[in-house]
Amino acid sequence: GRRPSIAVVKEDPRSSIPECFSHVPMAKRIQTSQAHKDVHPAVLAVGQQMATFALKDSIARLEATLLAFKKVIESYETPKGNSLSRHFVPHVLNPQIEYLTECRPMSFPMGNAIRFLKSQVNKFDIDTPEDEAKESLLEFIDIFINERITLAEVVISKNAAELIDEDGVVLTYGRHRLVEKTILRAKADGKNFAVSIIDDPYDQGGKELAKTLQQAGIRVFYSPNLGGLRAHLERASNVLLGTEAIFANGSLLAPAGTADVAMAASAANVKVVALCETINFDRERVSVDSLTYNEIDPERCSVESFRLMFDNTHSKYITGVITEFESGTDFAPAQAI
Amino acid sequence: MAPSQTSYAPTLGKLLKSLNSQPLEASIESLVYLLKRRQVKGDDIANAIAHMLLQVVAKSKWQSVDQLLAKVSNTGLRLAQSAPSEQVIGNVVRRVMGLIRDEASEDRNADDMADSVSDLSQLPTTPTMPSRPGPTPLRAATLPMSRSMFNLLCVSETVSSPGTGASTPMSQGASANMHALRSEVIDGIEEIMDEISQADDQIAGFADIQIHPGDYVLAYLPSPTVERFLVKAAAKRRFTVFLASGDRQEPGEVPHAALCKKLNGLGVNTISLASNGLMAYMPRVNKVVIGAKAVYANGGVSTESGCSIAARAAREYSKPVIVLSGVYKFCPADPSDDVTEFERGDSSAFVDYADGEAVDALEVENIVAEYLPPQYVDVYVTNL
Repeated sequence: GRRPSIAVVKEDPRSSIPECFSHVPMAKRIQTSQAHKDVHPAVLAVGQQMATFALKDSIARLEATLLAFKKVIESYETPKGNSLSRHFVPHVLNPQIEYLTECRPMSFPMGNAIRFLKSQVNKFDIDTPEDEAKESLLEFIDIFINERITLAEVVISKNAAELIDEDGVVLTYGRHRLVEKTILRAKADGKNFAVSIIDDPYDQGGKELAKTLQQAGIRVFYSPNLGGLRAHLERASNVLLGTEAIFANGSLLAPAGTADVAMAASAANVKVVALCETINFDRERVSVDSLTYNEIDPERCSVESFRLMFDNTHSKYITGVITEFESGTDFAPAQAI
Repeated sequence: MAPSQTSYAPTLGKLLKSLNSQPLEASIESLVYLLKRRQVKGDDIANAIAHMLLQVVAKSKWQSVDQLLAKVSNTGLRLAQSAPSEQVIGNVVRRVMGLIRDEASEDRNADDMADSVSDLSQLPTTPTMPSRPGPTPLRAATLPMSRSMFNLLCVSETVSSPGTGASTPMSQGASANMHALRSEVIDGIEEIMDEISQADDQIAGFADIQIHPGDYVLAYLPSPTVERFLVKAAAKRRFTVFLASGDRQEPGEVPHAALCKKLNGLGVNTISLASNGLMAYMPRVNKVVIGAKAVYANGGVSTESGCSIAARAAREYSKPVIVLSGVYKFCPADPSDDVTEFERGDSSAFVDYADGEAVDALEVENIVAEYLPPQYVDVYVTNL
């Protein structure tokens, strides 16, 4: 990963978290030897990668988790006198999930996918032969990855690329996979435009994005921090944002700083479009501020340096959301759900 | 205080020390360079300008009020042009010029009164006005002698005015008068310097009114004024300070370490936010304290870059934004389009030159100062 590896946790790192943020969860590295004995090696590896942020993006984590679960299913054998539909979830799947959650709080799409997977298992009749059930679950996961991740990405970037104006300037914050795909797609479609990147100085993903776009022949303006936001907004024709999740009340959960960008953009009358796979939608929970659902950056969790990873963007600052099912700029995300 | 640099690098501290030993022109030149390189920053600027103008008044040769005003205004213009975004420079220059005019008119009035009681012979008009049409309405056409103890004691320098076409020599009386004016103006500038240096303390006096026990106060890039404000409040109140800054710190480097230590010593918790966006923390924050670089006529504030992000986030959650500014930072300029422009700074810190690919790819814009519109400010705390 890009991040320097941190020393394996000595004492409780949460002790240095300020009281007012003590309810916010944080990823932590668990030595593989301390993990539950039932945790599958593939899941162990994914857990480590998530704890160290080698797998960072919510969808990347989802995909890795599902692929690891495929391994778990493949190696699963129902004990004698049990049925897969009764035994698999509580005795095999749940310990994996618990371990992953301990490594890093689950991303919203992971929660959604696991719910789907469990309901799939519950659908099996108690007498379903093990092979058939396993085959069906593996197929389910393959279709899920294909439809909800791979195809979603293609469809979203195609739809979003249409929003990029010829000779316009697209502003984005940090680096997000969907935004990057969209911009490259628009370029491949033969559009001529420039990109303004506002970076988060503590993450600097935007710098990497800038290099990639430059190689594709796109003109890039770069501001290393939010200080340049207003100056960059003056020439921007629209804003594309990547998101981690969208709540039932239409708020976005997105990398810290996104809310500031969205608010400044809507104050400057610049269209703000969020890109999000539907698997990232949470239809049950609502979030009104950034302290409801968030995570503490485990590398910055002391009094000297404290950082929340996400923030909450109110839906009033979002012009539209592009998903793989519906798209448009005229409705708020709340209606898009 | 000037930042500690290698002993060869010019700093404000060194410049101020060398003011008396250096020729005036050399001092002005080096201050211009310090300003151009942005090596004098923030609250040091006003002080530096006042020192420099004091030298101009004390050291340069002038025979009339207008000559003095011209010299001050020329020097002021040069200094202001070397850091166009620093409105404070113009403020101090205007203050000093106003002071000179006041002193000059007071002198004349005093003399008028003296005339009525004494029958001192009026001196002939000395047409040694500089060619520059000074904006002063108080042109001392006649420069009568005043009979103060100081004038009686001082030895008048009889320097012929250099470079002016009409070389009417100054009479001894006028010259003595100028001498008095010089010392009065110097006293006045020293008063201005005192005011500047006391402003932070006086502002801090209001700290315990604004900050309540249990508050969470967000200080974005705290200036010395803000630091003193927080420390003063900490002496009386228990609260928590969020410190935020726009740029990344290297791991292990604690931003504003000295301030944190002081506050912690007084029992106030500090939390350094490693974040650029501040919306995430705003639900927790009770108020935002921002130090102004200058306050415009409409109430808009010139601030460090990123302050408008903090203020906008505060407005979103209806949290008050407190701007701290000494009166000397209030400037008559209205923020027309040119002052609302952003000041762009060094971009090399953000892209490593070893990373050739990035150097080619990026058009880096590092904004270092920006304008905060008045509608985002709730309270101005000043020293008067």
